[in-house]
Amino acid sequence: MTTADHRPTADTTTAATTTAPGSAATGPADRGEPIRKELLRFLESRTRTSWLPDTDVFADGGQSSLFAMELVVHLEKSFGISIRGTDLRLDNFRSVTVMTAMVLRLQQAAGGQDG
Amino acid sequence: MADRLAAAVAAVRSQVGDRADGWDLAGLIPEPVLRELGAAGLLCAQVPAAYGGQGLSSLLGGELTAETGRLCSSLRSVQTSQGMAAWTVERFGTAAQQRHWLPQLTGGRLAAVGFSESAAGSDLSAISTTVRADGDELVLDGHKRWMTAAHYADLLVVFGRYEDGAAAVLVPADAPGVRIERITDPLGCRAAGHADVLLEGVRVPAGHLLGGAALPLPLLVTTALAYGRMSVAWGCVGILRATLAEASRHAATREQFGRPIGAHQLVAGHLAELLVAEQVATRVCEHASRCWDAGSAEQVIATVLAKQVAARSAAQAAATAVQVLASAGARDGGVVARAYRDAKLMEIIEGSNELLGLLLAQHALDLAPKDLTPKEER
Repeated sequence: MTTADHRPTADTTTAATTTAPGSAATGPADRGEPIRKELLRFLESRTRTSWLPDTDVFADGGQSSLFAMELVVHLEKSFGISIRGTDLRLDNFRSVTVMTAMVLRLQQAAGGQDG
Repeated sequence: MADRLAAAVAAVRSQVGDRADGWDLAGLIPEPVLRELGAAGLLCAQVPAAYGGQGLSSLLGGELTAETGRLCSSLRSVQTSQGMAAWTVERFGTAAQQRHWLPQLTGGRLAAVGFSESAAGSDLSAISTTVRADGDELVLDGHKRWMTAAHYADLLVVFGRYEDGAAAVLVPADAPGVRIERITDPLGCRAAGHADVLLEGVRVPAGHLLGGAALPLPLLVTTALAYGRMSVAWGCVGILRATLAEASRHAATREQFGRPIGAHQLVAGHLAELLVAEQVATRVCEHASRCWDAGSAEQVIATVLAKQVAARSAAQAAATAVQVLASAGARDGGVVARAYRDAKLMEIIEGSNELLGLLLAQHALDLAPKDLTPKEER
């Protein structure tokens, strides 16, 4: 009974608290969408294989050392970022999702610097 | 930018003059030549003007490299080393490191780059040189082989293992523990200052580690080498231009059986081959450089292709040119004799024909049609 009474309250609370930050949370996701799309297109054209956003790019070791450099050059050119220092770690290129997060972070950092 | 290229070409021509044959025979380029070209930013002409460089594009920098290679492959090799050192700083250095080191590299200090070791040639994953942090210093131990231009260098860019990856470290050539042993009898590019470099407990400030962090070794060496490959490819275009000009000049003037030998069809066939090779290599290099200038990811494979085509063509063309000149080209130090020896090394340095062949084959396989089902759904 009390549980039933509380449940809607809890749900409402959750809904209420997630609405405002929710738009902020979907904001980056929306900005990430074109990046994800472009990266999937690039990977597919470059490997003639289909990719999912979370497929591990270097999992089976099948990708050459040239491929990592191509990814770096492509990300910099396509998204107007500069990838330096620790950002060049392979972990940042593991999947489309991870690369998208890095691009958004670097774009934001560059935007912050310009402003 | 075209004016700057013209001025750069004129400066290189005036420094080399007709002395390349003598440098080859002596096995040395006079140091003032390297210092003056270095201080004019002409040994790494693609460094941006903000760092005292010439700021040439890859395409115009390539033309300068070709012109240098046409005159003297030893000098061009020094240029390749200096350019690769600068590119490594530019690509992997922090903003502060770029501001610190690049003006030195365009200001007369000379640099060499060390990848190869006795057990790490084509397989650079076998590099055993180590870099370790000790307080606010780095300690390097290792033995680099065939480091081009190290005999002249003030600075060595050393690639080694660091933490869980790799790093490129700037090491002053006069740091305690560095021993540079010049190779006095190389087959080609005899005046390029090749040396074996021994590093024993060499200490440098921690700030000499480019980017300040460990990086994946394959990405680090592939990226650094990409500049070197482009430079070697353009240098080979220069060798092709020199051999084409020399063989054509000889075939037009040397008479046998009552006419210029160029009028004999078998010799004429050689000249046609040389012209085709020079043109094909030029176009492939131009394409790769345009990819660099456009920031296109295709630059990666286009660079491998350019190096492969240009080096193989140059080696073949140099042999052909010696054949056309015959005894007139058989004296050591002369244009085609130098080309013959220098071009052979270009089939080895910065990725052998065989290694680059594997990379090109992998690229072909990557582009072959495959099962298009996403990997995780198979």
